[in-house]
Amino acid sequence: MKATTSTISRRELVGKFGKGATLAAVAAVVPAEAKSAVTQGPVHYAMVIDARKCTGCHACSVACKAEFEVPLGVHRSWVEYVEKGTYPNVSRSFLPRLCNQCSEPQCVTVCPTGATYVRKEDGIIVVDPDICIGCKYCMHACPYDARFINPTTGTVDKCDFCQHRVSKGLEPSCVNTCQGRARVFGDLNDPNSEVAKLVATEPVTVLRQEMGTKPNVFYIGADHADENDLRVPGQYVRVDTHRPVLERR
Amino acid sequence: MQELHWGLPVIGYLFLAGVGAGAYTVSSSILLRGGGGGFRGDHFNIARYGALLAPLPLILGTGMIIFELGTFQAALAQGDIGLFFRWINLFLTMNLSPMSIGSWILAVCIIASVIYAYTFLAEGSAPDDDNTKLRRGLAWVGVPLGISVAVYTGVLLGAMPARPFWNSPVLALLFLISSLSTGVAGILLMRALFGKHDKAPGDVAVGSGESESRATYLLASSDVLLIGLEILTIVLFILFAQLTIGNVSQAVSVILPGGDLSTLFWGGVVVVGLLIPVLVELRFVIPTLLDHQPYSMPRGVEMAVCAVILLGGFMLRYVVVVAGQMTGPMGI
Repeated sequence: MKATTSTISRRELVGKFGKGATLAAVAAVVPAEAKSAVTQGPVHYAMVIDARKCTGCHACSVACKAEFEVPLGVHRSWVEYVEKGTYPNVSRSFLPRLCNQCSEPQCVTVCPTGATYVRKEDGIIVVDPDICIGCKYCMHACPYDARFINPTTGTVDKCDFCQHRVSKGLEPSCVNTCQGRARVFGDLNDPNSEVAKLVATEPVTVLRQEMGTKPNVFYIGADHADENDLRVPGQYVRVDTHRPVLERR
Repeated sequence: MQELHWGLPVIGYLFLAGVGAGAYTVSSSILLRGGGGGFRGDHFNIARYGALLAPLPLILGTGMIIFELGTFQAALAQGDIGLFFRWINLFLTMNLSPMSIGSWILAVCIIASVIYAYTFLAEGSAPDDDNTKLRRGLAWVGVPLGISVAVYTGVLLGAMPARPFWNSPVLALLFLISSLSTGVAGILLMRALFGKHDKAPGDVAVGSGESESRATYLLASSDVLLIGLEILTIVLFILFAQLTIGNVSQAVSVILPGGDLSTLFWGGVVVVGLLIPVLVELRFVIPTLLDHQPYSMPRGVEMAVCAVILLGGFMLRYVVVVAGQMTGPMGI
């Protein structure tokens, strides 16, 4: 629960120093992203996932299902297993997946109704189920396959960093439940937050960087091997998505 | 195999909207080219087939696409009346999403094409009747509107780097040319199906056979040109995808020899949809073009060629929509 208290004190800190200090912090921590609209808000939520600490236990997927009553067959949060190599040189690693809450979200630019948008105050990308018509355009635009049609509402649904929890100072449900402490959540605009420190000091990577979406979910020690990745001919790579769609898109 | 988020309703919509938009554009161009009537009203008559055809596929296709909406499917499952009409939200806002711009253009195009069709429906409509001004005005609007609808269907798919197969600027051009070509085929098919027999004795309103056959020659020869351009565009589409490395060349390999959709693409789209009709049309166009012989294509052949062109247009949308969803970026 240490991380929870730090979230609250962070919010107080932001309140005390106001916008000027925040903007200075933005310039100091992420100068390259200073142009992005998302970072101009007072808070810029991000997540760091340390894949070395993940054991593939699916507790995050289950917590997410319970938090949102996500119907069977669809996932806001899921864990992929990556197996590769030939015996005896083999490895198996785990890749927890969720919406990357990109700073350049293509899902938002293609939405014809404005149902999906970036929250100005914290950069979280949300879907308004009362506006969404379920045209699935954003599902095509997302390079991470993070979006799905919720069968009960017929509208598009996805991870929203547990906005109802984080706006009350709590951590997202998956972070709260992670037994390996592989997930760290916090404010990138606050240089003293754990995520900002990790992003600054660790060799973090993002998924599909070449898509130019500027994800706000960072990985430490993630294996980016993919079945379609033909860089090493003949190398055995198997990805288990643990979703009804057996292949990554 | 990936999940097909956009299935037959979307494929059918892209095809039908293309036919409707193409027919409206071609009909408007013919009307304007013939100065509202043309010699003995033959341009007017050809334009009428297009004008009466255009709203039907536009409205039918737009009706179909609603079935693909998640909210509509949930409404069917739950019987929730409010969800049935959720698509109204498209018209409560306007933004730079290709789908938003496209919906508005499509709505305007449907309304314009319906009024345009009405100007031809009125009792005793003729090249210089009371509706001429309205008709010509709607024809001037129809050319850019029809082209916009046809282009937008390509831009809609092409806007996303996450779908490398679609993410090509050539796609919009390909859909535009296919749309005009299927529009021409639709008009010729309507004329072959419902037109009075050529040289009907004493029937001046339908146009004497010779001058109307000159107008259909214009259509058929334009169709040869359009199909030629379409083949060139497909070559460019494949060439540039194949010359790229990474996502795009990996994606285009599904329609190249050895890919999952290769037979459907080369057999269905290229041979059946393009090569066979263009060769048959050339057989009838070349004698007129080179030797100035009177143009006449047997009605049965005309129907078959038009049907095959329309089938090819549908297959093109089918292959493109499915191939785009089968493939994605490489790596993670």
